[in-house]
Amino acid sequence: MERTVTVVPEAGLHARPASKFVQAANEFDAVVTIAPADDGESVNAGSMLAVTGLNVEHGDVVRLVAEGEDAEKALDALEGVLSSPEDDDR
Amino acid sequence: MTTELDGTGVTPLSGVGTALWYEPDADLPEPPASETVDADVERAAFEQARGRAHEELECERERVRERVGKNEAEVFDAHVQFLKDPQITDAVEEAIDDGLPAAHAVRRAFEDPIEQFEGMQGRMAERADDLRDVRDRLLRILAGGDRTDLADLPEGTVLLADRLAPSDTAQLDPERVVGFATVTGGRTSHAAIFARSLALPAVVGVGQALRDIPAGEEILVDGVKSTVTVDPATEARKRAVGGLDAEVRYEPAETSDGKEVEVAVNLGTLAEVNAAVERGADGVGLLRTEFLFLDRETPPDEDEQYKAYTKVLSRFPESQVVVRTFDVGGDKPIPYLDQPAEENPFLGERGIRRSLGPDVDLFETQLRALLRAAESEHGDGLAVMFPLVATVEELDAALDCVETVAADLTAEGVLHEVPDLGAMVETPAATFMAGELADRLDFLSIGTNDLTQYVMAADRENDHVADLHDPLHPPVLRAIRRTVEAGHGRNAWVGMCGEMAGDPDLSELLVGLGLDELSMSAVTIPAVKATVSETDAGRAHALVDRALAAESREEVRDVLSDGGDGL
Repeated sequence: MERTVTVVPEAGLHARPASKFVQAANEFDAVVTIAPADDGESVNAGSMLAVTGLNVEHGDVVRLVAEGEDAEKALDALEGVLSSPEDDDR
Repeated sequence: MTTELDGTGVTPLSGVGTALWYEPDADLPEPPASETVDADVERAAFEQARGRAHEELECERERVRERVGKNEAEVFDAHVQFLKDPQITDAVEEAIDDGLPAAHAVRRAFEDPIEQFEGMQGRMAERADDLRDVRDRLLRILAGGDRTDLADLPEGTVLLADRLAPSDTAQLDPERVVGFATVTGGRTSHAAIFARSLALPAVVGVGQALRDIPAGEEILVDGVKSTVTVDPATEARKRAVGGLDAEVRYEPAETSDGKEVEVAVNLGTLAEVNAAVERGADGVGLLRTEFLFLDRETPPDEDEQYKAYTKVLSRFPESQVVVRTFDVGGDKPIPYLDQPAEENPFLGERGIRRSLGPDVDLFETQLRALLRAAESEHGDGLAVMFPLVATVEELDAALDCVETVAADLTAEGVLHEVPDLGAMVETPAATFMAGELADRLDFLSIGTNDLTQYVMAADRENDHVADLHDPLHPPVLRAIRRTVEAGHGRNAWVGMCGEMAGDPDLSELLVGLGLDELSMSAVTIPAVKATVSETDAGRAHALVDRALAAESREEVRDVLSDGGDGL
């Protein structure tokens, strides 16, 4: 299962959005990977190191791939993190 | 013997105290022979350390959230995620399987990722600091060490360190620590951000030379001059301490030939009013109104704003209070505003551009509150200025808004008054048009932080161009001179409210440039008043002539350092 999402948070996938994203990825049994949409290199969405290492900025498009029973739920949750502005819960 | 080292000042504050080295990373001993290492024991030790580190991080996050703020606390969320990172835990397990004890395994597992982030630019490089912080926490726990109690340092300590991690700075007690200096780090490092939040004098990125300072020395950390001085001269020491202990003068400062210079305060919140009054502020030269708009879900209404403005006015009943209309841009997110992402927020829609554009309703509400406040008991001293004006058209549009609001209030039968009006001079455009702007206004106020950034095309937050972001570069001085002359030519007074205004070493130069008002953080008011009172106008003018003729910042500095002696 696969989904393409535009990164909305101002900080890109750094700092707080990255923490939230990785935390969310680890809440599911499904194995999730993330890659910049224009580049095949995909990394473990549950690794803070790997995710911040992608250097994804605001406005970039990423591809999420999930495998496992709750793959759809995982993708919904992660898409939620990536498409909400970072200050929505302040 | 006085030694002075250069770094990057991150707060406009200075402090003198006793040096104390903070050295969190003790070297690990050589690992024992692998056959003596019990992998199961080491794995368990690592898991236990990880658990404890997690608990500590949760505690620290809460502590920082309370003491400093929500944003500053967020870094600890990232640390928790690094702590749980499968790449790192796998690498630790692998190293333990190779026969290393847990501590050595941790050190090895972090090596590659730290190096990888170090090789990257900007904020990515700062992730290396986060990783080091997480690693050192694990190593400390594995070594059985307690947390170094940075909260319990002797009073009057100047803390010296290679770098300070977020968890270190969060513990510092500003009542005991008079400042800190670090070997590495830039203006945007975590340490710098914490220093600003806690109002601690701090100079970062001093380099290896800092290492030569032995503990126990008396040290001056000067965030304005970006220097660390060992065994400072009495005069410099007095000036640094002056912010806190020097004689406070409640009367306005006058030069030796009788020119009065108003020494006012920059305020960012109402909480700072008391300190300003205590330090002898002649008035308020800049009330930043963003505090009314930040950290909330809906904008403040007219009455709430009216109350805030009249409250400040009542604390400065005989004085001038200059209120800047709200100055927001892409770099200051506000939940209820529509702020599209911008490639370059400092050159984007901010300041008056937003007030006349997407935020015009908020602008009108603010003007209504201000015009009403101008009519209140102490409203005579109120003055209002607009941020980031670049064109006469913008100013005319803002003045039209004021007129419309006044007409509305009249029609509604609401008591009001139009206060004195001014513009911030922060753009090169405004310095070229200062005369035409001043024609329409009562005053101009030079914001040197942004003006320097825009004149020198040097990001004020970027460590790598910190040398360019210095108002002592001749083009900035010439822009200031031009603005003052244009303002005075049109009967407008001209003030300054950037960091530069609060540097007592520059007061003589600024008086010579003809500024009528200097506005600064409360802490530097007594020292600036003292310097202004000692200033001789003749000497100051000669100093300015020489500084304006200089071709480089170095030359300007030379002129300033020999002062009148070279005349």
